[in-house]
Amino acid sequence: MSEPLVLSFDVECSAAHAFTTWTARIDAWWPSDHTVSGDSAAQIVLEPGIGGRIFERAPDGREHEWGQVVRWDPPTDLAYLWHLGGTSESATHVAIHFLAVGAQTTRVEIEHTGWERLRPDGDTWRDRNQAGWATLLPHFQTSIEKENA
Amino acid sequence: MSAAPDPFGALGDPNRRAILRLLRDGGRPVQAIATALPISRPAVSRHLRVLKTAGLVSERAEGTRRVYELREQGLDAVRDYLVGVWGEATTRFRLLAENTPADRKG
Repeated sequence: MSEPLVLSFDVECSAAHAFTTWTARIDAWWPSDHTVSGDSAAQIVLEPGIGGRIFERAPDGREHEWGQVVRWDPPTDLAYLWHLGGTSESATHVAIHFLAVGAQTTRVEIEHTGWERLRPDGDTWRDRNQAGWATLLPHFQTSIEKENA
Repeated sequence: MSAAPDPFGALGDPNRRAILRLLRDGGRPVQAIATALPISRPAVSRHLRVLKTAGLVSERAEGTRRVYELREQGLDAVRDYLVGVWGEATTRFRLLAENTPADRKG
């Protein structure tokens, strides 16, 4: 079984501000080269609340679905499905925990899982591969193209 | 914010993606890959070379044919890539959060 990808870092602000920045202002911080359209003018929207859509709206009006909010407990917890350019069947799961470790310091813990969801009984290398490719291919493709540009 | 060079516009080489999709079902010889795609065999070989250089596919000899298959390590490469994406994203997130007024409601 593949292990979740786990990241943790501290940010100098309140948990509430961190949560708000992460969600309401995702358009301002998410790197524009990690979008589906790749257009720096594309707008990224994370709709608040469970069931909220996460999507990217390109300047031409086309929308690309990124995922959906599955946990919304401000200011401490947020989780969403992240399609990573694939279909909703190949969604990965992102959970973010905002832990106040000081008045103006918040520890942000990110756990990114996905393969288990895709192949519940898929423990062989080939199943893992299939899940991984289905999910991540479009994004990884970009990095390949960059390296060979 | 400066524009990123060559962003996801490059994403869609549909043929290269199609090759990887084909190989998800198991290894295939070059000719079989070429037959399944609407591009020439030299073009397929070119794409395979790129994929191989990137560590995504490997090749082995099977008789006189060369069979291409997905590499398990390719998944590690994907993970590494994701770690990079998160690293960049969270750095930007931190900069923004630490340099914008706090939410008064919080």
